[in-house]
Amino acid sequence: MLSSIAEKTYWLSRYIERIENTSRLINVNSDLLLDIPHDESNDLKHLIKITGHFDDFKKSNSKENVFFYLIEDEKNPSSIKYSIEMAKMNSRYLLTMLPKSAWEQFNNLYSDFNNGAVKRNSEDLYQIIRNSQRFFAIISDGMQRNDVFNFIKLGRFIERADMLSRIIEDQILRKETYVNKYYQNLQWSSVLRSINGYESFKTINKENLNQEVVLGFMIMEKLFPRSLKYCVDKLIEVQKFLPKSTNIKKITKSLLKNLEKNNVYKYDKKILKHLDNFQFGLIKLDKEINERFFSY
Amino acid sequence: MNNKTKENKLFDEYLNNKQLPRRGFGNAFNYFSKLTPTKKRFLIKTRDSIIRSMGVTFRVYDNNKLIDRDWPLDLMPRIIKEKEWIEVKEGLIQRIKAVNLFIHDVYHKQEFLNKNPVLKSLILESPNYLKECSGIIPKNKIWANISGTDLIRDHRGNFFVLEDNLRVPSGVAYMLENRNVMKKVVTDLFNKYQVSPVDDYTSQLYTCLSNASYSKEKNKTIVILSPGVFNSAYFEHAYLAQQMGVDLVESSDLFLSKDNYVCLKTINGQKKVDVIYRRVNDNFLDPEVWEKDSVLGVPGIIKSWKEKKIAIVNAPGSGVADDKAVYAFVPKMIEFFLGEKSKLKQVKTYLCAFEKDKQYVLENISKLVLKPVNESGGYGILIGPSATKKELSQYKLKIQSNPRNFVAQPLIKLSTTPTLIKTSIQPRHIDLRPFILSGNKTFVTNGGLTRVALKKGSTIVNSSQGGGSKDTWIVN
Repeated sequence: MLSSIAEKTYWLSRYIERIENTSRLINVNSDLLLDIPHDESNDLKHLIKITGHFDDFKKSNSKENVFFYLIEDEKNPSSIKYSIEMAKMNSRYLLTMLPKSAWEQFNNLYSDFNNGAVKRNSEDLYQIIRNSQRFFAIISDGMQRNDVFNFIKLGRFIERADMLSRIIEDQILRKETYVNKYYQNLQWSSVLRSINGYESFKTINKENLNQEVVLGFMIMEKLFPRSLKYCVDKLIEVQKFLPKSTNIKKITKSLLKNLEKNNVYKYDKKILKHLDNFQFGLIKLDKEINERFFSY
Repeated sequence: MNNKTKENKLFDEYLNNKQLPRRGFGNAFNYFSKLTPTKKRFLIKTRDSIIRSMGVTFRVYDNNKLIDRDWPLDLMPRIIKEKEWIEVKEGLIQRIKAVNLFIHDVYHKQEFLNKNPVLKSLILESPNYLKECSGIIPKNKIWANISGTDLIRDHRGNFFVLEDNLRVPSGVAYMLENRNVMKKVVTDLFNKYQVSPVDDYTSQLYTCLSNASYSKEKNKTIVILSPGVFNSAYFEHAYLAQQMGVDLVESSDLFLSKDNYVCLKTINGQKKVDVIYRRVNDNFLDPEVWEKDSVLGVPGIIKSWKEKKIAIVNAPGSGVADDKAVYAFVPKMIEFFLGEKSKLKQVKTYLCAFEKDKQYVLENISKLVLKPVNESGGYGILIGPSATKKELSQYKLKIQSNPRNFVAQPLIKLSTTPTLIKTSIQPRHIDLRPFILSGNKTFVTNGGLTRVALKKGSTIVNSSQGGGSKDTWIVN
């Protein structure tokens, strides 16, 4: 497989996963705002923090401004619009590499977003989520398990692990906002909903819903596709099908170790430190993939 | 008066002078003329949705914005009888053989040029003549492995060669996709004719490319080099790569190894390439040799080519024969190199480089079609009979200041064929581009890409300028 095609595939996958995750993030937070007494302007600012480009946001924190910045601002590298355009750019090269139906589905995602009405309500965001899910469903269901498939998987689970760890980090930092214990639990249940995990969580933990058990689930539940552990397992699995790289293997193994070793979720400071390490590991992994496969 | 109207008569390929279908054309003509407007609209809608879902597009710049337009295909096929086509095919094979021998001669002994000093001086000055290619021997001495020859029919229905495209002719993917669309939309019309298939082109192309390789390895690495996704023919590059199962690459995917082999950058490391089917023009191929700022080429590739470590298809320098002045000499070439008479007619061409021809052209400019020598895509052409006085006198000045740069031809009245314009059937002018592959054997497509000028009376068939296309049926 050409290095350039591998790189474009990897990034197409990351951007589509990112589009979906950013939409989920915005949706869960705007839902939460309806339930919890809050200071709207402060509550929305943190969304920009999670997605990573806080310093570039210069406007006042009104709901309109924040949503525009996160959804439609082409100049914000973490906006949905930006990711969609980048995905489009990468997709141009993959015309012959993706199953035809996946290609068509991506075009639907692109045109649905760009032809959408100006109002960006949660229904619009759900549509983005559904379109992204359909794209990956076609890939999982109907694509030959070749190198293109492997790089899609690689990009997808790195991106997912990255966003998951940011969500967890953000919710811990925001805990003080919700002084009341009742609201804290509400906060965790909506986080679970944002990752489609509320029902799965409940089948395992019927009685408790607090930070400790929720984090245990989000980080270590190996059977749930939106847990950190699951993502890392997938990253290890896909390497069996890619050309060998001791460095990539080493970095992924240490990611896993980091998760397994730090399985106490009571102390906020500790968790934040581990999440920091985890994210740093992901950055190292991305860099190594780039050096090993794309631009050696 | 009577004589004049006869001269002005156009040749319609479906209908005779009495507007009745010619023999063999009745089934197709009646099929369409009997359709109700509702049924026509239905077929058009079906066609459009199939083209869209197959993603058959071509790329144009509109207000500096890149737009993918759906490929325009007219549903009424262009029909040519097999008996006629066999003669044309033989003519094309003869012609490409002579042209390849000519190119080889230009870069070696120049025997033909020495016999034709005016041509020699034109060639040595031509930007298409690349002195760096002198002495190179491509496999089988074939320079233009892939060519597309534009054919037209005159008011009597005779085939004429209009132009030989020997650089990077495009359109073949559309020829193939046109057939696929037609099979889905007018399925029942196929039952009434025995239409020669076209779909083995890509496997023939693979064989042709493989034949061009210097390497003795059984499994050769072949790639298509494209200028990139913004190129107007990118659809075709991607299509051909996919159909042949080879990699579609851009310059950044390739590099020269220390021992001068051209290599691909893959996730498994570097991989040696045997044949490059390049869709990049000569002057962008190697920044070390030609355009220094080119980012579309591979630095050092010409060095590798000279050492026979890579085959480049078509060979750099082939464009020397893709020239309107050289065109005029093709019948002579056929005699010189093959000892045969040209089987195909071609249009009488006046070279303004010849004093006598120049005088004739200046005096008769209003009857002629004027063409600059080194342009393609229909640009820079002046059609004398429909030009204004001002345009004519301006063009005369251009000719006088640089006569070598111009050729002139009598205006040929292109044949027409009925075409669906919305829901009515109207005659429109057409041409034909068959594709010829030269390898161990010479292969000619069954038919080719028929292009049609969709504007009433227009003869400009280029898709970038509002032309459309038709599926070409060679029928028994």
